[in-house]
Amino acid sequence: MTSKKISVGVLPLGDIPEFDLQVIVDHIIGCFKLTAQILPRFEPPGNALDERRLQYNAGIIIETMEATQFGNHDKVIGVLDKDLFIPIFTHVFGEARQGGKCGLVSLYRLAKNPDGSIPPESSINERVAKVALHELGHLLDLLHCERKKCLMHFSGGIDELDEMSLDLCEYCSIYLQDKLR
Amino acid sequence: MDRKMSVMIVDDEAIVRESLFHWFKKYGHVVETAASGFEALEKLETYPFQLLFVDIKMPGMDGIELLEKIKSDYPDTIVIIITAYGSIESAVKAMRIGAADYLLKPFKPDQLSLVMERISVQERLLSQYNYLKGHLDKITHFDNIIGQSPAMEKVFSLIPEVAQSDASILLFGETGTGKELVAKAIHAESRRSHLPFIAINCGAMPESLLESELFGHQKGVFTGATRARKGFLEVVSGGTLFLDEIGEISPKMQINLLRVLEEKKITSIGSREPVEIDFRLISATRRDLKKEVTEGIFREDFFYRINVIMIEIPPLRKRKEDIPLLAEHFLKKYCQETTKYVDHVTRDAMELLRHYDWPGNVRELENAIERAVVLSKSRTLGVEDLSFIRPPDMQFSKTLSLREMEKAYIQRILEENNWNVTQSAKILGINRVTLHKMMKRYRLERP
Repeated sequence: MTSKKISVGVLPLGDIPEFDLQVIVDHIIGCFKLTAQILPRFEPPGNALDERRLQYNAGIIIETMEATQFGNHDKVIGVLDKDLFIPIFTHVFGEARQGGKCGLVSLYRLAKNPDGSIPPESSINERVAKVALHELGHLLDLLHCERKKCLMHFSGGIDELDEMSLDLCEYCSIYLQDKLR
Repeated sequence: MDRKMSVMIVDDEAIVRESLFHWFKKYGHVVETAASGFEALEKLETYPFQLLFVDIKMPGMDGIELLEKIKSDYPDTIVIIITAYGSIESAVKAMRIGAADYLLKPFKPDQLSLVMERISVQERLLSQYNYLKGHLDKITHFDNIIGQSPAMEKVFSLIPEVAQSDASILLFGETGTGKELVAKAIHAESRRSHLPFIAINCGAMPESLLESELFGHQKGVFTGATRARKGFLEVVSGGTLFLDEIGEISPKMQINLLRVLEEKKITSIGSREPVEIDFRLISATRRDLKKEVTEGIFREDFFYRINVIMIEIPPLRKRKEDIPLLAEHFLKKYCQETTKYVDHVTRDAMELLRHYDWPGNVRELENAIERAVVLSKSRTLGVEDLSFIRPPDMQFSKTLSLREMEKAYIQRILEENNWNVTQSAKILGINRVTLHKMMKRYRLERP
């Protein structure tokens, strides 16, 4: 996957473990062949917290990020450990607007299995990487894909997230190459 | 969810519209939003959205009222109701009215995904069903003749009765009344249905060509006959021969055909060897052949040979109650052919159609609907789309004989179409040769 040099900033929104941020950076470089680096810590906007739902509104955080300059990065992936939602849904693992500049990943629901058990660290890291790459895919204008194994398949639950791979299917792969040409 | 759909989100809360808008965009769907039921209806007028997500609680027109209007005006549009926990009863009511599903907000992301998956499967099945139904309609017989008037009911009841015999049938009716469709229906109902049905328009070709087409010819009997060719009387071999415009054939051809009908043998041009033939004859005319027999214009013996059973097909002006049914039928047909979404004819436009006299009968109505569908820019056919139809009181200011009226009407159509014969013939529902003949008869010439 050769590309024009798009640079991606990985932005910790609050106190996020360095290791999680590095996992995302490594996967962006390894899987999408883009340049990526960790940005200085940034506090999520206070008005993003919905006090009735006790969740953070992804739309508000993204709007704040898009209004802020983070170096010369073309795309920015924000990472937070709070529970994210968009108004119509109960929750989301991440959020990005199609072809936008900034996306989000929430670690909050990735550290537990659907039955409440704790998965091995490697599984959590893989989930974090998948959500981050999936949202970056949307920022690069990739659409949801109906192939269940494809990274761009929509996953509404942890099971589906675990089922999909870290790779793009052949069609999404060609589409991405085309976008980056 | 492989198929891309056109989706509209109708909700008074901007934040909900925005959330769903971005979610659907990620699937590549065409997405639009509306803040009220009124705005949604306005947008539906201009674009055929396949799927609507409608919030139940909205000021002004609520979701239920909007759903009722959509199901009445655009029955094929799928509606999903979005509701809060407190209004389950409304959701149930919505399902009874015709909503495809409902979602309680906030919903889990995979719930919406599942609903979309189900809709996509339904759409695919519906599309397959419509394709197959259209295909089936084309190959079945009665479905193509539309009518519920007593006059047409009489024709429908005659078709299966006369189909069982081999008696010659004469179909009498004005141009464009659907004589060939009735002939095909008789053939399809007969024991000959698995054999050929051959239709020839006797008025569309000169006598020498008609003779050659019917009887066939041997190689070299005339210039251009580079090889022997079987005539349709032989090719039809056991099937049904439909001779349209039989009143146009010459007295010589009447004698030739009379002999064929009596002897059941033909001799091709240039040959001396008769060939035995078997076919069922259905003829059609728009002329009063009985009168022409008494005037000595048409052969009496031939007339009685082809007219064992006569079926009169009423003109459209005498069965105006069939016009709405026909109009809707042609609307669907041309929407499918042109892939345009025009859902219905407005009440005013239907009144215009019902008041017009349709001198070109069903064919003229079909052409009018086709023209209106092609040029229509909205989802309904209104009076403005049918402006080329003039109400009867605007057509002629004085009492005219039938011939004067025919001449005046032909002249008007020619003038409206800049004397383009092909285009005018299409609108009049006759072929170009017939129009040329009529222009000659009425001495109509481009000024």
